Amino acid sequence: MKKVFVTGMGVISAIGNNTAENLTHLRNGKTGIAKAKYVRSNYAQTHPFAEVKSSTEDLKSRLNLKTTKGLTRTDYIAFTALKEAVENSQLTLKEISSENTAFISASTIGGMCMTDQLYEDANLISSGSEFVESYPGSTHALKIAKEYHLSGVVNTINTACSSSANAIMLGAKLIKSGRATRAIVGGTDSLGKFSINGFNALQILSNDHCAPFDENRKGLNLGEGAAYLILESEEIVGTKKTYAEILGYGNSNDAFHPSSLSEDAVGIVECISKALKSASINPDEVDYINAHGTATGNNDITELTGINKVFSGFPPFNSTKSYTGHTLGAAGAIEAVYSILSINNNELFSSLNCNTPIDKFNQLPIKEHINANVKTVLSNSFGFGGNCTSLIIRES
Amino acid sequence: MYITDLYSISPQKTFDNSLFDGNVEVFHGNKYYAIEPDYTDLIPRGLLRRMGKAVRIGIGAGMPLIEKQNDIEGIIIGTATGGLDDCIKFLNQIVEYDEGTLTPTNFVQSTPNSIGGHLALMSKNTGYNNTHMGIGTAFESTILDALLLFEEGEVSKLLIGNVEENSPHNFNIDEFAGHFKAEEILSSELLGSNTEGSVCGEGANMFVVSTNKENAICELVDVHQFTYPTSCNIEERATQFLEKNDISLNDLDSLMLGFCGDLRTDFWYTDVMSAFPETTVYSYKNLVGEYPTASGFATWLASNILDGKKIPKEIIYRDAKRAPQNILIYNNYLGTQHGFILLKKV
Repeated sequence: MKKVFVTGMGVISAIGNNTAENLTHLRNGKTGIAKAKYVRSNYAQTHPFAEVKSSTEDLKSRLNLKTTKGLTRTDYIAFTALKEAVENSQLTLKEISSENTAFISASTIGGMCMTDQLYEDANLISSGSEFVESYPGSTHALKIAKEYHLSGVVNTINTACSSSANAIMLGAKLIKSGRATRAIVGGTDSLGKFSINGFNALQILSNDHCAPFDENRKGLNLGEGAAYLILESEEIVGTKKTYAEILGYGNSNDAFHPSSLSEDAVGIVECISKALKSASINPDEVDYINAHGTATGNNDITELTGINKVFSGFPPFNSTKSYTGHTLGAAGAIEAVYSILSINNNELFSSLNCNTPIDKFNQLPIKEHINANVKTVLSNSFGFGGNCTSLIIRES
Repeated sequence: MYITDLYSISPQKTFDNSLFDGNVEVFHGNKYYAIEPDYTDLIPRGLLRRMGKAVRIGIGAGMPLIEKQNDIEGIIIGTATGGLDDCIKFLNQIVEYDEGTLTPTNFVQSTPNSIGGHLALMSKNTGYNNTHMGIGTAFESTILDALLLFEEGEVSKLLIGNVEENSPHNFNIDEFAGHFKAEEILSSELLGSNTEGSVCGEGANMFVVSTNKENAICELVDVHQFTYPTSCNIEERATQFLEKNDISLNDLDSLMLGFCGDLRTDFWYTDVMSAFPETTVYSYKNLVGEYPTASGFATWLASNILDGKKIPKEIIYRDAKRAPQNILIYNNYLGTQHGFILLKKV
């Protein structure tokens, strides 16, 4: 089995349009959750959101794409992060379009961010908008495939909020197995009425800044963003700069409820355990956990239950969703980038808004920005449908 | 890996295999709907009532296999849109109630992974679980995912499958995009129609795949997928794929091709057909219509042919009078996404 290295990263979120801007906000403990400026929803007046701080027009104008017909905000956000990642890895167009380069993306909302157009097209109120072929969650991947002339495997995963963690896992597996030598992996999602109303109907959308792992947490804030990582096989990486190694992964299903996790954290324990096993490491080698930490009542206590069952004592943990909100299909990839930033700079970012630890465990997340030796990170992602995925990322 | 059991819900009578008794359904127009089995013993009535079609046919095809096997270690589903109708129902609530207090059932079921999630939930399966939605190659990706898992050696038996629903809303959207024929024709005339567009089908096809040859129906040898090829390299791609799997041009006796009656894309299949002139060619979209993951149905049909089932004459597109030993399935969706699946007799 071949080793898999990260040779490039790109990210766009509510705390910045590139990796450097994201890092600055994380270091300064500055959240991107605020009053929404761009998304059209009644809840924009009453609930905070973690919007990318650019209009769709601005995102579009910075990209210089060959064709923009039918492109949505989800697509522009994806293109932005992808462009940074391929530039960061200094990939040539030939390398990108090689048959040995796979592209595994993820999205949950896809083009459904165009909620009003979808309503009109689906119900025959319109005469067919320019977005009729833009709604499926994998449209962004096809647009990217066309723009960059991708000729290898192009695939999109949707396991709800663990989607892009699974995309990273699948890309790494393709390389390990020798079926690809390079994989571009990640995910994208943007805000729209559809997801906002969905999470509100489930009564887990907070009207306040989310407070992951706080006893009095009120729910999540929705965010938007994208992140892509360039994974390359040890065979081709040569003397190229590497940021980290994708060491292991675990995937399971909690098999308990369509939209909540089991009290005894069955799926979480299984995916973390599988990840540790696949990485061939012991729990005590994990220096830090980038938690799923959505700040819903159900997630945070269940995640701590799961961590408590696998680890003897809690490794330092945080939820960077207190900066970016919950970016759904992009979350796993964005958080993988943040995990790698922690490894590269030997620093841990503070988890915001947690003042009172959850009673049962009395564990506060990382409360202030600290320098620490970070070699090995566990990053968790859990989604509706019981889908649980954990990644182990290690310094290279 | 080997296919050891399978189940299909499609516009043909496939759930009870009576398709192979010579009963081929013929449809008129551009919407082909699945003939569904009675779910009474499988799904509790209250649950069934709330289920959208994608989730219902997905569970309807998957659960009988899981119940029979009892030792499935993971579930992998491919679907382009999952429960799109649930999605639009929720969307309609948003608009009609001006984002007021809404019920979340449609929202939760609208996510494509709710099919795999429900199957895991109903069978208490905590193993590997993944959902691919890469539209025209989503089913090919489920096979790839399973191959990778088996190569790792941690599991030996999985449920994989494809699900797509033909709902009014996805039909409306795709019709705007020009996917369907303007004229209404019989399914028996679909393949020779030679006009723009195809017809909208649906279905759920599920497979138990195993590393163990015991009770195998056929071998699922390999899969390959690609996007935006130039027409000149399709033949080359097919040849390379066969070579990689040690199948010589002479060994390949059968092709199963996704002819859908759309003159804009059927030339891809004609090209492959001419590249392998000595092969028998089977069709399948004249039985179930066109949809992004239709190669799932092709895999079900080809598996049954290799298992020795009586081949309906309606699917014989070119007869080379060769006993089927190896079948190469080639499917593309809208000429954009292409996939090969190779099956072998055991």
